[in-house]
Amino acid sequence: MERKLIGKKKGGRLGTTNIVLTLMVLPAVILLTIFHYLPLPGVAIAFAKYNIGGFQEWVGFENFQYIFKLNNFWRAFLNNWMYVALNYVFIFPSSIILAILFNEVRIRPYKKFVQTISTLPHFLSWAVVGGIWMLLLSPSNGYINQIIEALGGEPIYFFANNTTFPLLYTVIAIWKSVGYNSIIYLAALSGIGLELYEAAAIDGAGRWKQTLHITLPGLKPTILVMFVLSFASILNLFEPLYVLSNAMVRESSMVLDTYIFQSGIMQGRYDISTAMGLFKSTISLVLVLASNFLSKRLTEDGQSIL
Amino acid sequence: MNRTFGEKVFNVFNLLFFLVFSIILLIPILYILQQSVDVGAVKSGLSLWPSDPSTAYYKMVLGDQGIYGPLLNSIYITVVGTTLSVLINAAAAYPMSRRDYKPNKFLVYYIVIIPMLFSGGQIPTFLVLKELGLLNTLAVCFLPVLASGWNIVLIRNYYRSIPESLIEAAKIDGAGEFYIFGRIILPLSKPVIAAISLFTGVGLWNTFTPALMYNSDPTKYTFAVKLREMIVVQEDMSRQFEAMMQQMALSSASGQAMTNEGLSAAMMIISIIPIIIVYPFLQKHFASGLMVGSVKG
Repeated sequence: MERKLIGKKKGGRLGTTNIVLTLMVLPAVILLTIFHYLPLPGVAIAFAKYNIGGFQEWVGFENFQYIFKLNNFWRAFLNNWMYVALNYVFIFPSSIILAILFNEVRIRPYKKFVQTISTLPHFLSWAVVGGIWMLLLSPSNGYINQIIEALGGEPIYFFANNTTFPLLYTVIAIWKSVGYNSIIYLAALSGIGLELYEAAAIDGAGRWKQTLHITLPGLKPTILVMFVLSFASILNLFEPLYVLSNAMVRESSMVLDTYIFQSGIMQGRYDISTAMGLFKSTISLVLVLASNFLSKRLTEDGQSIL
Repeated sequence: MNRTFGEKVFNVFNLLFFLVFSIILLIPILYILQQSVDVGAVKSGLSLWPSDPSTAYYKMVLGDQGIYGPLLNSIYITVVGTTLSVLINAAAAYPMSRRDYKPNKFLVYYIVIIPMLFSGGQIPTFLVLKELGLLNTLAVCFLPVLASGWNIVLIRNYYRSIPESLIEAAKIDGAGEFYIFGRIILPLSKPVIAAISLFTGVGLWNTFTPALMYNSDPTKYTFAVKLREMIVVQEDMSRQFEAMMQQMALSSASGQAMTNEGLSAAMMIISIIPIIIVYPFLQKHFASGLMVGSVKG
């Protein structure tokens, strides 16, 4: 009530207050307008013939008909889904499990030590992470292959196998993100009242039962928020896959983002690349809205996250 | 508290699990560190201790004129980008923290929600940057990411924890909005500003994709792009090198053996050092839960 009153008193819609405040928010608005909103109409290129020479003519859905006939497009598209699946089966749950286990550690300095190590990789660039793992897994003298050879095995060229590359990506992605991503769950866990656990213990519930009936339900809101938010960026796989891939694993590492980069920016085929991009962002949008809807259904109070 | 036998066993295993987990997470970084200082021809095997420690690789990397350009570019992007980004986001967050500021709700949509849901995509963005003459500039690495809806929301939430009575009291004393922001809000928000600065700085130091996509001119490379180039080129080189060795049935001579791996390892360590330096400060902020989820993965 009081707030409203002050707002009115200081001169309504365009009082001095508002002008100074508007000036403060203006730089951010201008930057977003230029770099985020200005490219939006550019998706129309998907319906035109448009190459390095610029706009030629409108062609309707021809670009889409063209890309749907490309084998590489479907390969990139299916690979994208494979990486999405790997994310939700392994990468996403890994940090939740880690947080739950970590929450059981009661020795503080030890906790600090583990956390210091496990969050560090998050801050390294993918270029460095890619470099580290290439050396580590190098077939000639990488650490892992030295272990394999010491155990009497044959060295494995990890980065040259199309079948295992997606799993390799998963391992590296977990290595990079698991510690940092678990922090948000740890924060949520610390918010669960101790009295709940005490009451459960009095009722004779063991650790496992407590985890199942107190910890997991307590984490549910956080998990849902992270779940919905993750869909917004789940198809953005450019940087990790670009730095980890090489000619030998092109088949399994090619996703829409890397394919668009190759055909669009490298080869200048703007029209069909924009069509692919539009296809991708439409799926992204549907995923976010669908997951938002789903999470609305899953929470008792029916609150949506967006 | 009484614990059952099963729980004690679990506790021991859990502690052991985290010990093994930490070691496994640390091995890749330790291995790179070892590679960067080990010039021994004899492999150190499974030990991560260098067999023949030397700073030769670092001298070689730092002696190469080619890395100073990208290094300076990355420093420039980090310093200028972080400063501008924090200023712009901290300023934008203030009106948005004020419940009596009318366009508030619209701004949340314009700055945070719509950019999250809709994007022009790679090619339209590329073409806009091209039209603006931003290709092959350093600015393209930071200008598009200066305004960050996510950071604005984090800062705004922090501002909102400051008692409104302070603002009202200042207003009664005749202070203008700008004065209130600069003299009351900002000084009280040092923790969140520091945290955002650190996270933005690390993100910009790691800049890779924009530099790769928009800058084909090698004088505009960032350190991460240069590093990537070295690794890839060396992979090819060492493969050719090995094939040659096999053909000629040569084995490496004894004594010191410089490898391409060592060289790129040294380069990686150099790019990690700034992050290690700010890491304790970063940790202070994310451990307090302030910055949860603030930097893209």
